[in-house]
Amino acid sequence: MGEAKKFPYASEVVLPPELEGWEEMYPPQRLFSKDREAWENKHFWYQDKIHAPEPMYPLDDIFQEAWQISLSQFTTRVFCIPPAQGVAQRMLGCYMYITAVEPPPPEVIGEKAEHFQKRVFYVFENYDDLWDKWLNKFQALGREMEALKIPKEFDKYVPDSEIFPAPRGYTQAYEIIEAFNTIISQIFKAWQYHFEYLNLAYLGYLMFVDTARKLFPGIKESTIGKMVAGAEVSMFRPEEELCRLSRLAIGQPPVAEILKKNISAEKKMEELRAIDAGRVWLEEIDRIKNPWFFVSCGSGWYHFEGSWTNKMDVPFSYMQSYVQRLEKGEKIERSLTAISEERDRIVSEYKALIKTDEDRKSFEDAYKVVRTIYRYAEDHLFWVEHWLHTIWFEKIREFGDILVKNNVLKKTDDIFLFNRFEVPMLLEDLATAWALGVGAPTRGKFWMEKAAKREKILEAARKWMAVPGLGVPPEEVSEPFTVMLWGVTTDKVADWLKGSEVESKDVTEIKGFASSAGVAEGPARVLKLLEDVVKLQAGEIMVAPCTNPSWAPVFTKIKAAVTDIGGLTSHAAIVSREYGLPSVTGTGIATSVIKTGDIIKVDGSTGVVTIVKRV
Amino acid sequence: MAEKWIYWLKEVGQEDNNVVGKKCANLGELTKAGFHVPPGFALGVEAYSRFMKETEATDLLLKFLDDFHADPNNVADTLKYEEASNRMRALIESVKMPPDMEKTIKEYYTEMCRIAGCENIYVATRSAGPMSHPGQYETYLNVCGEGDVVFNVIRVWSSTFNTRSVIARARLNLPLHYDPIGVAVLTMVDAKAAGVMFTVNPVNGDESKVAIEGSFGYGEAVVSGNVTPDRYLVDKITFEIDEKVISDKGNEFVYNPETKEMEYVELPPDQRKRQCLEDKEVLELTRLAKKVEAHFGCPQDIEWSISRSLPFPESIFLVQARPESVWGKKKREPVLGKKSGMELFFERATTPVKLKM
Repeated sequence: MGEAKKFPYASEVVLPPELEGWEEMYPPQRLFSKDREAWENKHFWYQDKIHAPEPMYPLDDIFQEAWQISLSQFTTRVFCIPPAQGVAQRMLGCYMYITAVEPPPPEVIGEKAEHFQKRVFYVFENYDDLWDKWLNKFQALGREMEALKIPKEFDKYVPDSEIFPAPRGYTQAYEIIEAFNTIISQIFKAWQYHFEYLNLAYLGYLMFVDTARKLFPGIKESTIGKMVAGAEVSMFRPEEELCRLSRLAIGQPPVAEILKKNISAEKKMEELRAIDAGRVWLEEIDRIKNPWFFVSCGSGWYHFEGSWTNKMDVPFSYMQSYVQRLEKGEKIERSLTAISEERDRIVSEYKALIKTDEDRKSFEDAYKVVRTIYRYAEDHLFWVEHWLHTIWFEKIREFGDILVKNNVLKKTDDIFLFNRFEVPMLLEDLATAWALGVGAPTRGKFWMEKAAKREKILEAARKWMAVPGLGVPPEEVSEPFTVMLWGVTTDKVADWLKGSEVESKDVTEIKGFASSAGVAEGPARVLKLLEDVVKLQAGEIMVAPCTNPSWAPVFTKIKAAVTDIGGLTSHAAIVSREYGLPSVTGTGIATSVIKTGDIIKVDGSTGVVTIVKRV
Repeated sequence: MAEKWIYWLKEVGQEDNNVVGKKCANLGELTKAGFHVPPGFALGVEAYSRFMKETEATDLLLKFLDDFHADPNNVADTLKYEEASNRMRALIESVKMPPDMEKTIKEYYTEMCRIAGCENIYVATRSAGPMSHPGQYETYLNVCGEGDVVFNVIRVWSSTFNTRSVIARARLNLPLHYDPIGVAVLTMVDAKAAGVMFTVNPVNGDESKVAIEGSFGYGEAVVSGNVTPDRYLVDKITFEIDEKVISDKGNEFVYNPETKEMEYVELPPDQRKRQCLEDKEVLELTRLAKKVEAHFGCPQDIEWSISRSLPFPESIFLVQARPESVWGKKKREPVLGKKSGMELFFERATTPVKLKM
């Protein structure tokens, strides 16, 4: 051994030839480069499998771009977390790598400390009020985005209404350009808001972990997760609505009968519309659809994941199984009281074990701090990644539609193959051709060819096993997200190093967080996308990149859960504990190492997944 | 009226340390508190005294010791002590018990058999000193029949004259001929697995854990350190098994009905690395450990045994409980430095996380 272990530097990574041309999809400031090489090589970069587990579509990259600024600024310039700096991103081979920027010089740490104390203290003192303000402004922003007018088609001639009594002075050519500029500003602003309290919420959590560990050296992070997790957070609401709708259906037998049929959601809605009770029930969906069906079928980070609102088969399949279970007399709702009671019991029993009054007081106080702010980590997720992203994708598709109608693009979703600096070029091309009059060509052929080429590159990138890390791992990390969200720990990096040396078919054991106790063995079902959920058989073990609230009903069917991404407070971990299923999260490589049909053993107490038999 | 010298376990409690010895007092306390303890009775230190006085034992010993000279701090004299010990033990074990005592002990044993509903049950005769001297005196397992019970009670008494006890008394300048102890006569548990557990993680003093060590067969295997036991670390509050280390246990300590002796038998290869406890047993032990700790009000060191013939959870017996000796005695120092929640928050924000490569 001896020699310090390291990953290749970015410049040493050899990409498959089919990826040629990948760089042009992303703006130059997002790429590794010769001119910044010295700085880049000083940092340890790791593939961000939380936000970018899949090759990045250029327009989906906008969220990443936005969080790089927002997450970092709240640490460095707003709340001024003394030794921490931001998280930088780079694209390589269509995958995103990130790094915690090295700490600032000592004098800067001192300066920041003053601001930090004052500002953070204020937030904790006023959090309840600040959360209300946050939610109000965020919902207002989402409604503005929804209200944004995007031309459906260019008028042959501007209508009279825009001329008389006084000409408006601008046309759809301007409107479409402005609308895109506006929606870009809106998504950036939403992502500014996204981190308003998140850095503090994560720090609060890490503080509580430290405090609990000092008192109880062996306390598991899953137990700490149980202590801090909220039961009544927005994230759980969509599933609660499904339960409620299923109960309503049970009260109206003809509705329940239709819901139980093995036909598409579209067909079910058609049949429901044909009967009175069905229409009433559908009205109830319409009433709550916005916001509670604005749930991504994936993480919310990719356009192709879809949302319940445009993939109604997903919520309808859940309701189908809920109705069946209700008819069998089973209970489908999570018991909020039971969850809260269990949390209170755990906290008070641990508290009773503390040996001195002095420590008990500090523990109580630390708990109060984390409970004050931690809700934010759970609440913001629904409003930003699910609700607002659903609106965003729908609106972006309106731009795609008009480009398709005018032969600039082939398919609506091809717009996602162009980055946010390029889309204005397509729109300008379109607006110009309209303005020029009859017969003026766009560069539609050029854009379409580009789209086709990019789709091929992304396809090749999907098959490429990206290296997990780049450069030399650091000795210490101060950046709260790096520790908590990405779970970068000594063990994790060591596992990545190990993983980068062996072929995936030779791996027989993978490690992650012991998120929910228990042991289960059975056939694996690898679900890269929620749509694959239709293939899931009862009693299988789910292996997924990560899960989110729209996956919740899946947990009633499976034996155990394994994810690539996510710590002990990740969605998969929380829900597994609620359903009493063993789970191992944050393995980093489960979906690439395990194949559907492999017999695997999940030990949620030790965090080990063993591949017992390969298919 | 003559002083009472024999008791049913349920008749004694913690306060009777000096009357029946620690082990009996604790077992009595556990029995009274409703824990599942092998049924049995206790001979008080008074029984030892009566035996020594009413027979010629004391006189014989004193006579022998008149001519015995050795230095307990001189290692070379160990052999002398060993020889003396052999002589003294032989002497005591050849003495006959006063008839009324013998009769009473046999009556108690017969009553145990009657309650158990079978003839000649197997019992263990265990030493119980008023002071805790773990491992100093001796215990005899699988004793069966009234005559054997009486004889093995005398053997336990005579174990106060084993070499290590005699040397220990000599070093403390205590009389060599007299060291009254109690004896517990307990129903044997036909153990499929047994071991010890602590209501605190012995490694770091974490009181939110129960640490269980167990192996196949009788508990002596674990207590004596003759096998590497399986280890379980269980969270007292969430009842999750945090750690499970299944060891190669090599042997099990069992009774050989032919030789009537306890012996180590090599486990078949497929058994050696098998988990000696089922998870539900681990969790039930944890539940019991928590209850025992709550009853005594401090961290406990508990011996347990799981019967092969009884159904779960009646199969689980507690055979000893005493205060845990390391962490239980530590001074309870605060570790959070009187900090408020916000101070802890600021501390966290300014402390980087080390990554060791």
